[in-house]
Amino acid sequence: MAEKQLSAVEAELYDRQIRLWGIESQEKLRAANVLLINIRALGSEIAKNILLSGINSLTILDDGTVTEEEQQKNFLLNKGSVGNPIADEVLIKAQALNPLVKIKVDKQPPSSKDSSYFKNFTIIVATCIKTDLLLKIDKVCRSSNVKLIYGDVFGTFGFSVADFLDHNYHEDQIKLAGKKRTHGEKDHEKTTIKVQGVINYPELKKVLILPNTKQSADSIKKSKRRNELFYIMLALMEFRNKNNRNPAIESKEGDLKTLETIKADIFQLYEVDELKTKLPADIFELVFGEEVVPVCSVVGGVIAQEVIKAVSEKEVPVNNIFLFDPITFDGKEEAIGA
Amino acid sequence: MVVTQITKETIGNSKVLVVGAGGIGCEVLKNLALSGFKDIEIIDLDTIDVSNLNRQFLFRKEHVGKPKAVVARESILNYNPDIQIKAYHDSITSQDYGLNFFKKFNIVLNALDNRAARNHVNRMCLAADVPLIESGTSGYSGQVELIKKGVTQCYECQPKPPQRTFPGCTIRNTPSEPVHCIVWAKHLFNQLFGEEDPDQDVSPDTEDPEAKVEGQAHSATNAGNIQRTSTRRWVQDIKYNPSQLFNKFFKEDIEYLLKMENLWKTRKPPVPLSWEQAASHEGDSVEEENNVRMQDMKVWPLSKCAKVFASTIDVLKNEVSEDKFLVWDKDDKPAMDFVTACANIRAHIFSIATKSRFEIKSIAGNIIPAIATANAMIAGLVVLHAFRVLLQEFEKCPSIYLRQKSVHSKFILAADKQITAANPKCYVCSPKPFVNVFVNTNSMTVKEFETEVLKKGLNMIAPDVVLDGRGMVVISSEEGETEINNDKKLAEIGIVEGSILKCDDFLQNYELSVAVNQYEAKEKDDPLYKIVANPDDLKAKESVNGGEKNGNEEEKQAESDQDDLMVVEESDDPQEGSSKRRKLNPIEDNDDDLCIIDS
Ligand SMILES: [Zn+2]
Repeated sequence: MAEKQLSAVEAELYDRQIRLWGIESQEKLRAANVLLINIRALGSEIAKNILLSGINSLTILDDGTVTEEEQQKNFLLNKGSVGNPIADEVLIKAQALNPLVKIKVDKQPPSSKDSSYFKNFTIIVATCIKTDLLLKIDKVCRSSNVKLIYGDVFGTFGFSVADFLDHNYHEDQIKLAGKKRTHGEKDHEKTTIKVQGVINYPELKKVLILPNTKQSADSIKKSKRRNELFYIMLALMEFRNKNNRNPAIESKEGDLKTLETIKADIFQLYEVDELKTKLPADIFELVFGEEVVPVCSVVGGVIAQEVIKAVSEKEVPVNNIFLFDPITFDGKEEAIGA
Repeated sequence: MVVTQITKETIGNSKVLVVGAGGIGCEVLKNLALSGFKDIEIIDLDTIDVSNLNRQFLFRKEHVGKPKAVVARESILNYNPDIQIKAYHDSITSQDYGLNFFKKFNIVLNALDNRAARNHVNRMCLAADVPLIESGTSGYSGQVELIKKGVTQCYECQPKPPQRTFPGCTIRNTPSEPVHCIVWAKHLFNQLFGEEDPDQDVSPDTEDPEAKVEGQAHSATNAGNIQRTSTRRWVQDIKYNPSQLFNKFFKEDIEYLLKMENLWKTRKPPVPLSWEQAASHEGDSVEEENNVRMQDMKVWPLSKCAKVFASTIDVLKNEVSEDKFLVWDKDDKPAMDFVTACANIRAHIFSIATKSRFEIKSIAGNIIPAIATANAMIAGLVVLHAFRVLLQEFEKCPSIYLRQKSVHSKFILAADKQITAANPKCYVCSPKPFVNVFVNTNSMTVKEFETEVLKKGLNMIAPDVVLDGRGMVVISSEEGETEINNDKKLAEIGIVEGSILKCDDFLQNYELSVAVNQYEAKEKDDPLYKIVANPDDLKAKESVNGGEKNGNEEEKQAESDQDDLMVVEESDDPQEGSSKRRKLNPIEDNDDDLCIIDS
């Protein structure tokens, strides 16, 4: 078991972030055990950022093999790794990012893991998984006090969905204390006030409601001013659930049709008037192709920062969905199911 | 279609310059390489430090001390050996990177950490008509902005908030905040061990206008000023004896200050402290702690400060010699310990809050916190904008701001609705750049005008200046041509109220007309000079005292940016005052070298 307090080496290495989030946050990070499910283009970005932050351990669970395309988009992979297990291939470069973090790899399929496997982590980060598995993991997480965040990138569109349970956090608010000093000059001492907050995250089965499931979408559809990218997110998740893959350029024509059908079902479920949506008609053009690398950089940065917030219980986290707009490049929170 | 997607061919045929291989630079390089860019050049002046490794992920522990540009190139090649990538361990402001260098590129991506270099690249890209994507992060916040000649505003279109400087007499006579004591302690370090700089005097300032008494303008002034010229020799004569040094700076100088009675009419007077009092001060029972939290995060008791004062002097004195002086460095342990001890001793004397070594290091070293996640987000957006720029879709690249999430805002990334047009009165990118400068033509020398106003204030590198109407060359970038003018006052060579100076920087391909206005500083806090870009601002600016402190000479720029003291004003930070979108002045990511004081 590691020492609770930071060593001088760690203090030097993490100096620039300790100055931002404080030493208590850093100590919580160094005690955190993170599970990353699937380490593809987005997963490699998340892994990089959380390894750099100085967690205790990272377990990489991925049963995939390296493809030519994957090799080109994942900086943790080397040339010549095509055909080998991804989890094995990323290990050397991942470890080099931060030798202080314990990294384990697991090449079994995530779906083969029983519930007890997921209970041993501080937080689980999932990418590229199907919704039923995600909901199953969420159920385990909720019973074992493990936080969960899921995210994906399709083309230039990306998002994340979090379940941080009943999340207590604090943030520092800086106040200029204009206290008068005895000699009449203002002392512009800054004082930092700790402000506490709590967010009660809904369980994911009340957040990710797809057509043909037993869950009622009633609580969700009432909301006005919905960020309509939420429906695009659901459509892409449903596409993968049904087709066991992402939309692909090779089968673009057929995939577009499938996506439009799914979208129509989702609009029906959520009682969205297609004519009134502001989504561009060709929005699905943007989701084809592999994960676009700079979008993974953006979304991977957002998800890793949420992991850091969840672990350190510092700063306001996203509640509960993050949507990256592939047209404007806005990145917004959308509260669903609360 | 809403977005034209960029093709592999367009990316593969584009030549990109990345300026800076720090936090954002590493992320940008990775994104470029993974996106299929094949022709990249990278320039960075810096070498790798341990504190970079929490985010500059192309570097590892064994690279510490090596040039960033070179190691970044090796790391990228290690990922993909087929990329053409050229590295320069150099300053982008060097004469070697002229217009023809910039014209080679389809796009320039800035990943810089200081304003002077940003201003320079801005001008080079305007002159070469190459699109520039400017970016920066500071803690949780960041920003991405396209700069394209004739389409968007330039980096210098909007005046940037001045960096905070402090009047000399506040530092020397009447400190009221911890930062004043920290600046003083750094000056003391330079007085004892560094290159001598008369502007960093630490002894009482007898010229303080506040201290003057009616009828006896220069009563007790001489002693201080004589001492001032010979500090170093005296220190050597007493062989850096710690207790004598202590008594001089913390007892005798303070007693001297107390004699300047006017200063203490409304302030709490300082309390002189002798070596003996400090060394035996109560609270010394604290044992030396080995862990960081105790050593760095706790405020040292006074007796420990005295002990550290003495022990660091013993170390540092052996490092200086006749021909070698020290440059203060926050990462040099004895130098940082010395400043911590001295700042807190002085704070104690003036009843100012004392600080931990950790906090003092932030202020003295001007450290901007930096994290991997913010850099990754910003670098992703930089390359997404680069795709659109290469498709000539400039209007689809409005500025984007990364902000810390708050309960009041749904936005994490907030993009402007449209691109921002240039300021028609910008003194850099308008067709006929023009600026008003306020100086005292009777006291400012030509040399001061060149270094302070033209180089530091207006960011020129090697200006040639002709006095309009008379056709007289007053400043030349050619060596030996105008040195004769250096020590002359501006008025002596005919530069007076109403004069127009044609200033030309050949490297930046930049011609600026400077209108000279006579101005005399009235208050002790008044700046040495003022620069006013928009004549409409003249009235407003004049009434807001201190709004333009660029010229304040008190906190002068040292040799490197590295340690300069610059306090980022709260208002720069978009995270505060959550509802309004505020432009942040991207400082950098790279803390360490940050901050050129614009003075
Ligand atoms: Zn401009």
